[in-house]
Amino acid sequence: MQDTITALINPADEQGQYLNSAALDQLNKYFQRGTMRVKAAGIISATASDIISKTVAKSLLYGDITLPGGNMYPTRRYAACLRDLSYFLRYATYAMLAADASILDERVLNGLKETYTALGVPIDRVVEALNAMKEVLNASVGAEAGQELAVYLDHIIAGLT
Amino acid sequence: MSLVAQVIAQSDAAERFLSSTELNKLEEFFSKGALRIRVAEKLAANEKKIVEEGSKRFWAKCPNTPSNRGNAQKTALCQRDQGWYIRLVSYCVLAGNDKPLEDIGLNGMREMYVSLGVPLANLRMAMASLKEVAAGLMSAEEMALAAPYFDRLIRAF
Repeated sequence: MQDTITALINPADEQGQYLNSAALDQLNKYFQRGTMRVKAAGIISATASDIISKTVAKSLLYGDITLPGGNMYPTRRYAACLRDLSYFLRYATYAMLAADASILDERVLNGLKETYTALGVPIDRVVEALNAMKEVLNASVGAEAGQELAVYLDHIIAGLT
Repeated sequence: MSLVAQVIAQSDAAERFLSSTELNKLEEFFSKGALRIRVAEKLAANEKKIVEEGSKRFWAKCPNTPSNRGNAQKTALCQRDQGWYIRLVSYCVLAGNDKPLEDIGLNGMREMYVSLGVPLANLRMAMASLKEVAAGLMSAEEMALAAPYFDRLIRAF
């Protein structure tokens, strides 16, 4: 996977150069927000299952999808949905810490849309859940980190649609 | 791969959210962010000085070495390489681990210098001299961030 630090070092090395002032500025901004990122990741680690429950309650729980004939019925499929939402949350957290979306492309989005289509998972409902997750996160980690996380949840949405 | 990427890869391999140990590692790394940048800037600004002063110290200890036999071209190449190693140390300080040094400058390094006929023991002394000079230009706090990578470099030869 790529991260924002490596993404600045590699092109500098290709030129045989130290990081120039623009690259160092960018890195400085990243470092300055590091504590905020780590704090948010800590909250997510401690409350992930709660975040997922709230996300489902906000988006999927009260619709047809959880009824017989829906894609979250029976319980096996409900659990699979929880598992996938947990993946999305975990990888969005990684991407937020790295300030780089490449891990999402490599580990989450690669083949996902095709898999969902083959399994008959309604993509629009997944998108709805991801949007709900953004709201839940905003409330639990605060607006600043919430905005960062939203960038990467939007990246997943873009990759699915 | 930076320390951040390394920690993420570790957490991902275990298929779980970040542990408190991992979060502490990241917190510690970010908390010294401004200092990391200052050290990288200092190494960049003083590369020439570190190499020139380092060479003098090295030649004093080890006069019979390829870079000190009157072949100006060879001397320049050796010093250029030393400058490159200082640049890689600066990358490591920013990345928080020795991966840039390993990937760019140590993988295959022995084979290269053996083929060039440069004695590894001499290079070890040269690198130790670079560390000494760098230490003299930085505060203890700054050098604490760079020293592990100079040490990694010295150990490699």
